[in-house]
Amino acid sequence: MADTGENFAAFNSRALVEMVGGVTDEALKVTKIKQFLSVLAGRFFNWAGRKSLFTLHLGIKCCAIEMAAAATPRFDGDRFGVLFRSSPRQSDVLLVNGPVSKKFADKIVRLWEQMPEPKYCIAMGECAISGGPYFQSYNILEGVDTVIPVDVYIPGCPPRPEALIDGFGLLREKIIRIGGAPSSERESEKPLIVGDE
Amino acid sequence: MAQMWITMGPQHPMTHGLWTLRVKVDGETVVDTEAELGYIHRGVEKICESRDFTQVTPYCDRLCYVSAMTWANSYIYAAEDLLEADVPERAEYIRLISAELQRLASHLMWLGAFGPDIGNLTLMTWCMRDREMFLDLLQELGGSRMHYNYPRIGGVKRDIPVGFADRMIAKVKLFERRIDEYEMMLDESTIWLVRLQGVGYANAEEMVEAGVSGPNVRAAGVNYDVRWAHPYSVYDEVDWEPAVEKPTSVKGADCYDRYRVRMEEMRQSCRMVLDAIEKIPGGKNTNYANGDEMIYQKAPTRAPEGATGFSNYECTRGASQFYIQGGGDGRGKNPYRLSIRSPMFITIPFVAKTMIGYKVADIPAIMGSFDPCIGETDR
Amino acid sequence: MGTTVTLSQNEAAANDCLAAINDRFSGSGVVASVERHSNAKKYAFVRITTPPQHWQALAKWLRFDLGVNYCSMVTGTHYPEGPQERGWEVAYHFLRQPITDQLPNTHTVYVAEKLDGRLIPMEFEVLIPLENNDSPTVPTVQHIWGGADWNEKETWDLVGIKFEGHKNMHRVLNPHDSPEGFHPLQKQHKIRYHDHNEMYDDAQGFGRKPADEGRIK
Repeated sequence: MADTGENFAAFNSRALVEMVGGVTDEALKVTKIKQFLSVLAGRFFNWAGRKSLFTLHLGIKCCAIEMAAAATPRFDGDRFGVLFRSSPRQSDVLLVNGPVSKKFADKIVRLWEQMPEPKYCIAMGECAISGGPYFQSYNILEGVDTVIPVDVYIPGCPPRPEALIDGFGLLREKIIRIGGAPSSERESEKPLIVGDE
Repeated sequence: MAQMWITMGPQHPMTHGLWTLRVKVDGETVVDTEAELGYIHRGVEKICESRDFTQVTPYCDRLCYVSAMTWANSYIYAAEDLLEADVPERAEYIRLISAELQRLASHLMWLGAFGPDIGNLTLMTWCMRDREMFLDLLQELGGSRMHYNYPRIGGVKRDIPVGFADRMIAKVKLFERRIDEYEMMLDESTIWLVRLQGVGYANAEEMVEAGVSGPNVRAAGVNYDVRWAHPYSVYDEVDWEPAVEKPTSVKGADCYDRYRVRMEEMRQSCRMVLDAIEKIPGGKNTNYANGDEMIYQKAPTRAPEGATGFSNYECTRGASQFYIQGGGDGRGKNPYRLSIRSPMFITIPFVAKTMIGYKVADIPAIMGSFDPCIGETDR
Repeated sequence: MGTTVTLSQNEAAANDCLAAINDRFSGSGVVASVERHSNAKKYAFVRITTPPQHWQALAKWLRFDLGVNYCSMVTGTHYPEGPQERGWEVAYHFLRQPITDQLPNTHTVYVAEKLDGRLIPMEFEVLIPLENNDSPTVPTVQHIWGGADWNEKETWDLVGIKFEGHKNMHRVLNPHDSPEGFHPLQKQHKIRYHDHNEMYDDAQGFGRKPADEGRIK
């Protein structure tokens, strides 16, 4: 219903909800319960989020085969909560596993924008990090981080499935530190590289 | 009923790679299709004009990444034609063994991706588990699970390790029994049969005229295999037969025939490998040093202007060819033009036309049965 | 034991094809020869050089009279420093594959040694040199071989050689919005960092500035 200032019922449901909500919010703030609940909820969502990193089912090139191998019985990424989802709307992690060409650049940015926050990007393999062996090509971007902010880099050509699982481990440690910070505010965080220690 | 175009876009779990298939549907029936490729066009042909002949080998591994050894071998034969290099016989046997092991790994990857398309998720876990056996063997040879950079112009990089023969024989014999398990699971499954039989007919003459080759055409009853028609390596000394499947319909081969021909090819590859390791000159338990004349013969590194090299090779998905012209930068150290023929580049538009007339739910079955690999398509 | 096509069969077939081509096309600028590979088993193949105006007639004859039914590869090359009559070259590669009627429940099994005549598989290479100008054109054979269709599109896309009469020509590997006239495999286009000497001093690439930085965002 349009809010045109008609003064029939001062208590239509929307106004009622807003008023009750406002009162409750004030009460919780004053008693510091709100702060306690948000810390608890934040920690809980952080824990749940990092234990169930749903990855987008995107296979660009060779590293996708190692990504598939990481999901199979020998290496088994599923025990870490890593599950592959077909839709970007339902996934947390965009795992870029191949070179990004000029034709695909718009589409990968669109996939990234379709993912809801909190979302993370992992660049797997040399092609996604810097263009890889094709850095001189006329059609390949020099790394996916020219168009998307990357959180973890996994070097290798292709990286072994164990390296991919280690990359997810580094991402989990990062999530403990930054929680659900939106991806646009993460620029000051140093990107993590597998094997850097 | 309204018709509309649906985009099975580049990011799609069932397209086995990054390409777009736009289908025009009338209800559930596919009326028209359009394929769009080029999402991972890397310009390999241009980059290779600035690389030495030896530096090109890793690029060829990464063309069809599921079947890297066969593509590296294919390039090496073309480079040997250009540079007029000779190869010792033991190296040819090792190339045959490595190519056939790679063919086994590639067909297992195909089956492991095809099963989930049909809905059989168990196949993914089973096939990848078995594929790991062959990746371990290839890792012993080449050093890596996927991109080995193993063959050299004039031979191979290193010899088969000591004990490799016994491990390989044990694994291949185990795998031959596993093929029986797969067939038992699949051929007795009504869902598998109903989803694959009668779907995706492709006529042999149309396929050959369109440029399709490999197991897709052998499934339609045409016995053409580059390994016997334009022989290379030691395929004439090893015990094998081309795997050809008899189509049950005049309309051609359906998805079930294409699945059966690959199972039969896996059996033939096992047979070839077991035979080759017994016949290898120099013995199966000896390990020659790198660069020994039994496995490598130094080849010229420069090709004069006007020289050309051409190779015709049976890759896992069809006949792959390389056409190299010499006389490039560095006074002939680099190729002037390196042209790659990918069987899948021709097959994918053909597959897009094959789908017309079937239901939308048949699209993954038809697409998967032709075994697309976009790495080689887009070069 | 794997039976393969023997060297003698292959040579006989190559010489037959050569004789047939010379019979039909001698004196018209079409030059054929039997060449030998230097790799593997050193088999023979037939190489034909033809000027562009005779190409469609030769193609029809190859397809329907000689039975060359499989077009596998089309390669275009740019020779900016070449002679006037060979500034560009289109190389077509064909295979002759033996097929007969596909009746149900049969498969044509060839014992390779028993093949003869037109059934022996053979490789063909057709080279079409073009003049050294800015608009190389070759008549298309899209209607003769289905396998030539997408190969010709790719050759135009990457090299810039036009195929006269080709229906529905479009960019197939490069993006559709590539600039008009951008054909990357021409020799005046250089790859990135082609003169980057610091590549060897700066192997990690810290000094490099990616050219696509901030392209979309």
